[in-house]
Amino acid sequence: MRGLQLPLTQTQKVRLQRALEKLEALLSKANSNASVTVADTIPVNYDDAFLKGHGTTEHNGEVVATVCGVVERVNKLIYVRTLRARYKPEVGDIIVGRVIEVAPKRWRLDINYSQDAVLMLSSINMPDGIQRRRTAEDELNMRSIFEENDVLCAEVRGFQHDGLHLQARSQKYGKLQRGQLLSIPPYIVKRQKQHWHYLEEYGIDLILGCNGFVWVGEHVETKDEMLVDQDKPESQTSKTNDYSMSLESREHTYTPLETRQNICRIANAIRVLSMLGFIVTIEVVMEVVNLGVSQNMDTHEMLGSEFCVLVAEREAERRSQKRTRGN
Amino acid sequence: MTGLSLGEKQFIQGGIAQDLRSDGRKRLTYRPIYVETGVIPQANGSARVRMGGTDVIASVKAEIGRPSPLQPNKGKVSIYVDCSPTAAPMFEGRGGEELSTELSVALQRCLLGGKSGAGAGIELSSLIVVEGKVCWDLYIDGLVISSDGNLLDALGASIKAALSNTGIPRVHVVAEASGEDQPELDISDEEFLQFDTSGVPVIVTLTRVGRHYIVDATPEEESQMSSAVSVSINRKGLICGLTKRGGAGLDPSVILDMISVAKHVSEQLIDRLDSEISASTVSCSISQCLMWLENVLNLLSSLATQIEKRLMI
Repeated sequence: MRGLQLPLTQTQKVRLQRALEKLEALLSKANSNASVTVADTIPVNYDDAFLKGHGTTEHNGEVVATVCGVVERVNKLIYVRTLRARYKPEVGDIIVGRVIEVAPKRWRLDINYSQDAVLMLSSINMPDGIQRRRTAEDELNMRSIFEENDVLCAEVRGFQHDGLHLQARSQKYGKLQRGQLLSIPPYIVKRQKQHWHYLEEYGIDLILGCNGFVWVGEHVETKDEMLVDQDKPESQTSKTNDYSMSLESREHTYTPLETRQNICRIANAIRVLSMLGFIVTIEVVMEVVNLGVSQNMDTHEMLGSEFCVLVAEREAERRSQKRTRGN
Repeated sequence: MTGLSLGEKQFIQGGIAQDLRSDGRKRLTYRPIYVETGVIPQANGSARVRMGGTDVIASVKAEIGRPSPLQPNKGKVSIYVDCSPTAAPMFEGRGGEELSTELSVALQRCLLGGKSGAGAGIELSSLIVVEGKVCWDLYIDGLVISSDGNLLDALGASIKAALSNTGIPRVHVVAEASGEDQPELDISDEEFLQFDTSGVPVIVTLTRVGRHYIVDATPEEESQMSSAVSVSINRKGLICGLTKRGGAGLDPSVILDMISVAKHVSEQLIDRLDSEISASTVSCSISQCLMWLENVLNLLSSLATQIEKRLMI
């Protein structure tokens, strides 16, 4: 079921099946008249003027769906939104991307979309924090800011003539280090108010990119760079140290074990949720992590079959409780 | 595989140094292994092994053939691995051929021993039917469906599982022949002899990152390796083959240390594999029993509720 790669024993299969059926039963009470499959007629009031959007077509005088999904109506536009589509960027989305090319005055990023996104040199804050015009020297030193294969957090600015543009003007955006990047299906990250989470009790940053790239890493203090002018020579020397450090001295800068343990737990929680296809929000992730801790499970056992079944059952319970509380 | 940023590389190296890898495993822990036997009904034996994202299938076909004149009392085994283009983006077109030949050679070395046949993990003399005239040829084929690191170990495990699933048809010699003639044979369609796999080794690959060794590396960890040593060890703890990959040189003491670590890991791996293999062969009948039991229980519970209702009224 659902193409799970895990070895499930017979009892685990039965429990998982039951939990998934319970979830489906809860869903069907929602307005199922909005979902359509291919060749379903869409209920429309033909007296009003309306526009047929994506996923619809006219057939024998009726509006018929061409894809499986949910019918959306916006003013006079009627279209069908598919549920498991490729990531579709919208203005203001927070995304995590990887630099694949350093081009004149811009960086090209891979953001799990059909095109590469573009981050202009003028769309980022300079490392020294001063707002100024970008000179030719800045352009030559682009690689010292972001290099190939660097992971960045940015915001979608919009579609311009030459592609999708991003911006990273706030202190929260920028290069991500000391952590791991996970790739999950984009449709399980729903657009919410907050995508950038700082978990204080663990000292960890969690960024749920709308494009399905999730960053879990050590917390980085975002200082106001106008005030740390005197620290500038220090930061430059520390950058060169990265490359010339020997193995022993590099070991001293490794992430502390406690933080690493928490990073791995949160990453495994997100992996389990993506395997089951459940929506990933910060509350659900923290619940899964607490469930793992309460079961006294080793971190890597969170990727095993028993925990997977437990998470599914817990989610079914949580949703049914929410429903009864709501009613 | 996409590249990794400097911060991610340091995170991986730090994790390995601190014995806590990116998915929470310790350095010498394998990912969950899933074994399915009998996936190809037309073959004499087959198995599918999944280790995390890595998915490989091995199949064994047995054909009647002539033994080589240099070794008239031994059968022949040939091993060939194919990396499917769908396994990873870099395998597209003919990209996977180099890796396929490398894996085939490594498996041959680990399972079949040297050119003279000495030190083979698979007992070749058990494949003989009539000495000097008739023997079984085993063709072992491996197919990599999905690659997520640690292909050699997965292929070794799948070949061991496939061999344990292999049934060689029983052969009766109908008419003796003299000289160069082939004797007449009666190959039974019903009776099968299970292949003896107690001596078949498993392959344990140790990847060296920094100063530490890890087992069952993911592609990200493999990109950080300096060298990797694959050791094939059988149940008795004897080494059947050794392969080293990677450009970095290794001190001989390091290799001896890696071999002892591999021996220690292989004991747990062999036990785990054997239990998974026996579980997969038994699972079909047990699952049917359980389904039947579940149906009976459901019936009983519905009966009980009905009786309750009757009694209350």
